[in-house]
Amino acid sequence: MLRFVIPRLLITVPMVLVVVSLTWGLIRLAPGNFYTGEKVLPPAIEQNIREKYGLDQPWYVQYGRMLANTVRGDFGNSLRYQDQTVNEILRASLPVSASIGLAAYLLALAVGLGVGIVSAVRQNTRVDYAAMGFAMVGISLPNFVLGPILVLAFALSLYWLPPARWEGFWSLHTILPVITLSLVYMAYIARLSRSGMLEVLRSNYIRTAEAKGLTQRAVVVRHGLRGGLLPVVSFSGPALALLIGGTVVVERIFALPGLGQYFINANLNRDEPLIIGIVAFVSIAVLLFNLIVDIAYAFLDPRVRY
Amino acid sequence: MRVNRLNFASAMSHARPAIRIAIVSTVLALLAACMGVPPDAQFFGRVTPPEGQEMRYISGPEPQSLDPQIGTGQPESRIYNALYDALADYHPQTNQPLPSLATHWEANSDNSEFVFHLRERARWSDGDPIRAEDFVYSWRRGLSPELAAPNAYMAYYIKYAAAYNAAEVFVRDPHTGRYVVIDEIGSPVLEEPADEDSDLTPFRRLMVGLPRVTLPGDANGQRRALDADPKLATVVAGKELVPVTAEDIGVEEVDPLTLRVTLVQSVPFFPGLTTHQFLRPVPEQAVEAHGIDWTDLDNIITSGSHHLSEYRPYDKLVVTKSPTYWDRDRVRLEKITFYIMEDATTMMNLYKAGEVDALYNHTVPIAWLDMIRPLSDYMDAPENTIEYYVFNTTKPPMDDVRVRKAFNAAIDKRALAEFKGTGKPLTAFTPEGLYPGYPQAEGDPFDVESARRLLAEAGYADASGEYDPSTFPVRQVQLTYNTNENNRQVAEFVQAQWRQNLGLTIPLKNLEWQAYLDDTRTLDFNGIARRGWVGDYLDPYTFLDLFATRTGNNGSGWFDPRFVAKLEAANREQDPLERYRLLAEAEAMILEAQPVIPLLTPSTSWVKKPYVKGMYPNPITQIPWKYVYIEHDPALWDYDMPSLVPDARYSDARH
Amino acid sequence: MTAVDVATARAGEQEIVQGTSLWRDAWRRLKRNRLAVFGMIVVAIIVVGSLIGPPIVELTTGYTYDYIPPDSALVGSFPPFTAPDGSFSFAHPMGTDDAGRDLLARVMLGGRISMMVGIISTLVSLLIGVSYGATAGFIGGHLDAVMMRIVDVLYAIPYIMIVIVLLAFFGGQSPIGQLFLLFIGLGAVSWLTMARIVRGQVISLKNHEFVLAARASGTRTFKIIFRHLVPNTLGPVIVYATLTIPQVMLLEAFLSFLGLGVQAPLASWGSLAADGVKNIAVFPWQLICPGVTMALALFSLNFIGDGLRDALDPQMRKFNA
Repeated sequence: MLRFVIPRLLITVPMVLVVVSLTWGLIRLAPGNFYTGEKVLPPAIEQNIREKYGLDQPWYVQYGRMLANTVRGDFGNSLRYQDQTVNEILRASLPVSASIGLAAYLLALAVGLGVGIVSAVRQNTRVDYAAMGFAMVGISLPNFVLGPILVLAFALSLYWLPPARWEGFWSLHTILPVITLSLVYMAYIARLSRSGMLEVLRSNYIRTAEAKGLTQRAVVVRHGLRGGLLPVVSFSGPALALLIGGTVVVERIFALPGLGQYFINANLNRDEPLIIGIVAFVSIAVLLFNLIVDIAYAFLDPRVRY
Repeated sequence: MRVNRLNFASAMSHARPAIRIAIVSTVLALLAACMGVPPDAQFFGRVTPPEGQEMRYISGPEPQSLDPQIGTGQPESRIYNALYDALADYHPQTNQPLPSLATHWEANSDNSEFVFHLRERARWSDGDPIRAEDFVYSWRRGLSPELAAPNAYMAYYIKYAAAYNAAEVFVRDPHTGRYVVIDEIGSPVLEEPADEDSDLTPFRRLMVGLPRVTLPGDANGQRRALDADPKLATVVAGKELVPVTAEDIGVEEVDPLTLRVTLVQSVPFFPGLTTHQFLRPVPEQAVEAHGIDWTDLDNIITSGSHHLSEYRPYDKLVVTKSPTYWDRDRVRLEKITFYIMEDATTMMNLYKAGEVDALYNHTVPIAWLDMIRPLSDYMDAPENTIEYYVFNTTKPPMDDVRVRKAFNAAIDKRALAEFKGTGKPLTAFTPEGLYPGYPQAEGDPFDVESARRLLAEAGYADASGEYDPSTFPVRQVQLTYNTNENNRQVAEFVQAQWRQNLGLTIPLKNLEWQAYLDDTRTLDFNGIARRGWVGDYLDPYTFLDLFATRTGNNGSGWFDPRFVAKLEAANREQDPLERYRLLAEAEAMILEAQPVIPLLTPSTSWVKKPYVKGMYPNPITQIPWKYVYIEHDPALWDYDMPSLVPDARYSDARH
Repeated sequence: MTAVDVATARAGEQEIVQGTSLWRDAWRRLKRNRLAVFGMIVVAIIVVGSLIGPPIVELTTGYTYDYIPPDSALVGSFPPFTAPDGSFSFAHPMGTDDAGRDLLARVMLGGRISMMVGIISTLVSLLIGVSYGATAGFIGGHLDAVMMRIVDVLYAIPYIMIVIVLLAFFGGQSPIGQLFLLFIGLGAVSWLTMARIVRGQVISLKNHEFVLAARASGTRTFKIIFRHLVPNTLGPVIVYATLTIPQVMLLEAFLSFLGLGVQAPLASWGSLAADGVKNIAVFPWQLICPGVTMALALFSLNFIGDGLRDALDPQMRKFNA
């Protein structure tokens, strides 16, 4: 196992540097800069700004400085929010995004697995069709359509829940964003676990178990479950990537102070240190997460051995 | 999934749940739509005042900084209005300057020097008194090149401020210590030696004497300047270069309660300028002690009606009433919570649900106007802003004034204003009706016949002299605008007008903000570009001086020295009405040369709950928070847009 | 492989016979799948509608997707089948948007653009993924190891973020330019999995006799890969592609919601839905019409993909998702 894990860990740092370099290159190639506003700045002020942020130095100097910052983990101050350092921003916004992302995924797991397993066990019944119909809606309906509909219904017509904003994780404000975010994963997980279970349930060793006289519940729990979990686990990797995208949209709709909001605005404001900081951080998170997923997969599937 | 064994009926029942869901969501949405606004509603959403005197406001996107000399946007300025005081503060209804940190001021005979008398009772939040030295420190700090404050140009009217900010140098004779100055006829000469009997301090001599020559701080810049002006080069030869320092700026402490400001030209509206956030003083004790962290919650020191008590980025910022503010008896709001967000729909939703009490300007989505406008909580007053298109007058076919006038006259601006829903049509170059006593000129009206005739005269005609669209070089013209729903709608409308009235389809070019700035800043763009200008202060000059320089924010290539001369004459004028008359004449020059197509004066377009009083849809949507309060007696609520006619309650109080 | 396949291979016939019977089998199974058929019909309607719809609408009512009525009284959002004065009218079966443009024409244009984005991006990812995976799988050995290592490494990049950076910084030049960026950006998101699938297929196929035969007769590697192996991987590739198209379309919709996708005056279903969401409380049809159309198309494509996968069932067990 270690022979598998160590190289993966080692390659993380160069990987992140590659991603960061790619991002930096894109930012630098693009037209425009962060300090142009609605009014043309007097040349003196523009010169002051360029000097202050080292923009008048050759590109390789700036590139080197960016790499060094990344390795040190200190990205400096945001160009746009000059009172705040990138690390402060990350520290403040990460818990918001992570908590709703995690909550959404756990909810999706709980509901999706449940639905998928029940569907697999009751294949081709009304329950199965209803569940799979829902799942189909889930993967076809964008979350930025679902979210506002939920807001309209529960916040603006019934006044049960607040329409936006964040008041800490344990508050009414979390409910709608988490539901909106989790729906599409619920749908995917339901479909995946269902088909995974079905496949396992059809295979030979299940027939053996049934022939031996195990109850259906024992069959399902002891053997089928594992088959249902495997595709879900391997889906977690790409799911994280989708989750990042999904949180961006949800944060926009519900005005949550999370990483996604900062990222989008950083792009629009051309706030280079903040973009690099977020990209570096998310890359590390994704790499580590994928590693954990692969290890989990190995535990679940005896056929896979590292 | 053995679906292939099913017959159609079961397949339909499989699909039916999905269809059922679609129907349910449709119904939900329709239901909700019916609940948009009940027909007899007077206000939009819930109207329940919060407890006590606590207000919730949406200030806009995340502020760049809590340092008033660094933050450049309107979202920050509304927060600064609560945190930091100024020499003069905004009148809540007209936005004209009301004495605040200064109790009164005087100007000299040509409006180039102001003396401000400071309020003795003014205090910082840590108890220290606010004195003239605070202004001297703040303005010097704000203009320092190292700070690289983007708004530093607001102080450029102060003598030598621009030179200091640009890190320029004076030229001095090393033997005699005398500087090179510009004499009355514009030639560079060595200044006269100091008069031995004079009792002027060296600083006063600097202020009242002839203006010193300044050169760029870098060798390349110097060489370029000297190559361009041989006379200057001769005088400069053999002299030493002395950097312009912060102490050379034209701001001076006469005594702890008296501040003198020397300006580089006549600026009669300078007291109005001091309301701007850049010119509000910053606490030296905090800045020197903590550097860039001076705005942290633990370090920050404020001077305004409220003090910072909580700040969660991208979420909210809370201020509470300041016990040290000189006018605290007038302040009624104990707490203001600024929510930070930018999506208009989310804001309107929060407002409707009663979670916020007021929004800032331009937050009502245009599509909602028909529903919102009849309600009593909609604020709709003209703004100190203009929206216009600028021609590139250096490139054909727009270098011909007749073509420009034709394009201008071919647009029905009244229809445009109706289409937009907010705003009034504009034919002149300053917002209509904001400056009492200003005899604004009228620009060309909507006249299709005249437009076509002008184009024919310009040469785009057929054999019989009638206007012929096919002769017009459409490919040399484009309408460029930055990506924005509003801009797009206007551009498409105008394009349709030209197509309809002139038979020309002008292509639209939509660029993202940065690319748009790059494209339009140099005079490379073809034809026409969209512009908007938010006035920096309440005076027609803030719009007219766009054309006082050839470059910068001019953007059209049109420059007329007679126009500049008229502007200068106007500013030297002491009588305000006469000054307005001269400015109006200058504006008429712009309208005659037509380097622009004026389009609209936008209106403020926001909502506030009726129980919020003391808050007005003033021309620059700057709210002085000390006048705002929550009214709990429904009989005293605002059942309509509050009047902008100056109310006696807000007259300057000198205590 | 079915008995027929083995038989034909043994008989030494060209693999094209093998392919035909496989496809015919699959097609038969597909036809029996009612949902997939339903999906195909809906998709066909939408495709045809998007292609020939706009000219027809323009001929009958004169509305195009960007026509703004010059009369300002008509500029506003009206419900389906309603004239400005509230009476019934056939002019706008889906109503109008804020600028008075006919929503039906815009939804049809949206169909063209969304599907174009979906198909071309998928084709881009197909091209890259298939070539890459087939080459890696066939050549094997060190090259394969290196190539797959690269894929593993690339998998870990948060693509969404790079795509956002790309679109935010380079976008806005022109609507066509933006579309190009979308094709490339979205295509780059999906090719990795395609490469893996194709590689897996090729590895399992490369020891089959028809390959040995081709090698023995001296065919060059390049030709073996692209003329013999790739056609045989088409099954899973097609299934994956059909399932990728709706995913890409959703991605594009999400980007449009953030303002980074299709630019005005063009429209995609995603950008129409994003615009409609803003006005959902006031003019719900602006969201419902494009939203339902998009949902229907996505549903149908998913049904088709599911059906294809089941029709090719024996090969496809691994790729349920």
